[in-house]
Amino acid sequence: MSRRVNATTALWGLRLDPDDKPVAFAVGFVMLILLIGTGYTLYTQGSAPLLQPQYLLQQLQVGSFLGIVAAGLMLVILLGHIDLSVPWTLTAAAMIATAVGGPWAIPAGIGVGLVVGMVNGLGVAYLRVPSMIFTLGMNAVMRGLMVAHTGGFAPQTAATDLMQYLAVARIGDMIPAALLVWLAVSVAVVAILTRTTLGRSIYAIGNRERAAYLSGIDTNRVILVTFALSGAAAGLAGVLLAGYSTKAYQGMGDAYLLPAIAAVVIGGTNILGGRGRYLGTLVGVILIVLLNSVLSIMQMLEAGRQIIYGCVIISMLLVYGRGARVTG
Amino acid sequence: MLEPAPFFALENITKRYGGVHALRNVDFACSRGSIHAVLGENGAGKSTLMKIMAGVVQPDEGSMILEGVPVTFPTPSAANRAGIVCIFQELSLMPELTVADNITLSSPPRRFGFIDGRAQRRRSEELLARVGCEDINPLSRVSDLPLSRRQLVEIAKALGRDPKLLILDEATSALTSTDVDSVYRMLFELKARDLSILYISHRMHEIEALADRCSVFRNGRHIETFAKGVRSNDEIIGLMIGREIEGQFPEKPKRPRPAPLITIRDLCWENHLKGIGLEAGRGEIVGLGGLDGQGQKELLLALFGVLRGVRGTVTIDGQPMLPSSPRAAKGGRARMALVPEDRKSEGLILSMSIADNIAMASLDRLSHGTFIDPGRTRQAVERAIEQLRIKIGSAGDPVATLSGGNQQKVVIAKWLATDPDVILLNDPTRGIDVGTKHEIYRLMRELAEEGACILFYSTDTEELIGCCDRVAVIYDGRVVRELDGDAITERNLIASALNIVERREPVHV
Repeated sequence: MSRRVNATTALWGLRLDPDDKPVAFAVGFVMLILLIGTGYTLYTQGSAPLLQPQYLLQQLQVGSFLGIVAAGLMLVILLGHIDLSVPWTLTAAAMIATAVGGPWAIPAGIGVGLVVGMVNGLGVAYLRVPSMIFTLGMNAVMRGLMVAHTGGFAPQTAATDLMQYLAVARIGDMIPAALLVWLAVSVAVVAILTRTTLGRSIYAIGNRERAAYLSGIDTNRVILVTFALSGAAAGLAGVLLAGYSTKAYQGMGDAYLLPAIAAVVIGGTNILGGRGRYLGTLVGVILIVLLNSVLSIMQMLEAGRQIIYGCVIISMLLVYGRGARVTG
Repeated sequence: MLEPAPFFALENITKRYGGVHALRNVDFACSRGSIHAVLGENGAGKSTLMKIMAGVVQPDEGSMILEGVPVTFPTPSAANRAGIVCIFQELSLMPELTVADNITLSSPPRRFGFIDGRAQRRRSEELLARVGCEDINPLSRVSDLPLSRRQLVEIAKALGRDPKLLILDEATSALTSTDVDSVYRMLFELKARDLSILYISHRMHEIEALADRCSVFRNGRHIETFAKGVRSNDEIIGLMIGREIEGQFPEKPKRPRPAPLITIRDLCWENHLKGIGLEAGRGEIVGLGGLDGQGQKELLLALFGVLRGVRGTVTIDGQPMLPSSPRAAKGGRARMALVPEDRKSEGLILSMSIADNIAMASLDRLSHGTFIDPGRTRQAVERAIEQLRIKIGSAGDPVATLSGGNQQKVVIAKWLATDPDVILLNDPTRGIDVGTKHEIYRLMRELAEEGACILFYSTDTEELIGCCDRVAVIYDGRVVRELDGDAITERNLIASALNIVERREPVHV
């Protein structure tokens, strides 16, 4: 008994509890991907480009957009909800940001995300519509609004210089600015989850909303704020993505929803809410980005890539599911 | 008089839940052509016995003999096939299906492998007519029916299984007086058809009207079985109590009744609360007595702001205050705290740590703005663990790893951290070991001495007697009697809980 006390107080936050297992596993899998990819390139080209910092930083830059979306989505998933409006929230933010232009482009883009998120939050918290339905509906609404806004064509407006700078610039010719933005978002999410009443309430609601409510937590407000944060994160990702490709275009967010959910879940966050650590989501994003990249370097056919991708997600979840789980 | 040979006999049945004996060496028998009432306090073991007969739970020891042949019922459907059908207290109908679907749920009439809708409807009409419900359309949905009609549908459904032994576990609790009459007629008719009927009810006059024989249970033991009319009501209550007050309760201070802190007037909610009036002051422990499910739980929830559409007035220090949410309740003029009924699903978040759970209700006190102060939180958690002597390995362990008693202490600690003025306790000692119970009693008295006002609902009369300065006995959503000081006796509590002091008016639902 006393030994356990010492171990846990000495290593507060560092002990290997069930939540760390998925993270460790995902890190191991990232290594495995790099190893297999390197083996392949050594065999075919006689070089190991995957292990060069240049390649890895490039991947992190590309991964930043997914990482920011996943960070916001993780908050919602921890609540026990889901945000399916990510694709068109992201697209709308990008389109509005490029349309507004000037110094207000970025605030406008994030603002669009925030507003969509708040509407989602109102619907889920106060109208009690299941989030899966409500956010799916919002996604369609945003798509309609954007088609009306652009007439169905790619908007002609371009991303501002600041947007492009944040998305593609390398600081000191080395560190991508997008990576720093991702880092900033990550620090904010970690702070929310571990240091604030909001974070504690998110975990509590995700585990058992009734008990959280009876503890006097304003559950509806927490749900509203969390969805707003998720929307804002999607908006920010849209702004950056528009900067990366210098303009906004139809369907630019479509490739982000499922990989973001996969990243969150591979990182060990319980899809039903209440459990998960941000570190896991971070590793999950890296895993997905690297897996995609290595499969394309290996010139795997699209069909094969999809199959491997799906199998990886399912098999990792099977491994996590084996752990003893406390359910109320 | 020659006893008729028993139709169904249980011998030496024992059932344990964990370390608690729900039934101890029970012998019980019932015969055909009779209505047999089963009496006892909450937790006396009646429901467990019925569940064993109906195959819902398995006895740990003992045997069952049906018409002279030893039987076991591994599942409820095995019991059904043997002709034993049970109507449980909680309704088991599917609200979104039609009445006909529900009645024929387990074996719908089929033609060519498909459900024969017309035959199903005919059969349902027949069965509904037998319980006096010709007016229910078999095609209406159960959720559209009022509660009393649903209970009759439940009875019709049970009849559809051609029972030889019909068990009614408080199956009439929601019926209106006219419905009760038609159920009586049906039961007498079934008795005439040589069925065996077991009837559990807390309404003494129903038992007087119906039963041929009565059996009294107490603390998991079968105390006595006697024919109708052999014992008076008073004697029956004596049999139901029959034990010494045991255990130590903290001394009750002798002092005049304090000025009311919280005053409740005419509190109504749906048809569970029908005009509750109650007062309680600082330093007082006021018990809420009565049988299970008479509105005590709803009263506590209403005071804590959980229920919507509560009418009536609640004043604190003369100022009106009826909170709209638990958040408002814990931060209002007088801080309230509720230790809810089910600690596992309402009081705690089992997979979160002990520390997180203790801090859960007082996060706003432990944080600067939006940021939680880790130092203060740790101190508060340590203080609470020490104060309540919660036995833990580490405060970071999930609260699910603790024993029931220690879990309940965590729930209490969580609320003490908010420094409450009014403490609402919903059966806080249910399923807890004796030692922890006594610690909780002592703590309640300490809190009252420090100026808290405690409303204490318990299903255990002994606790109410031992702990409370006053007890309000609640029956059918009203306070029927307030007992004070020496008047708080087991006999008074049970008599007023059954409401046999004044004859009950017919209920109009």
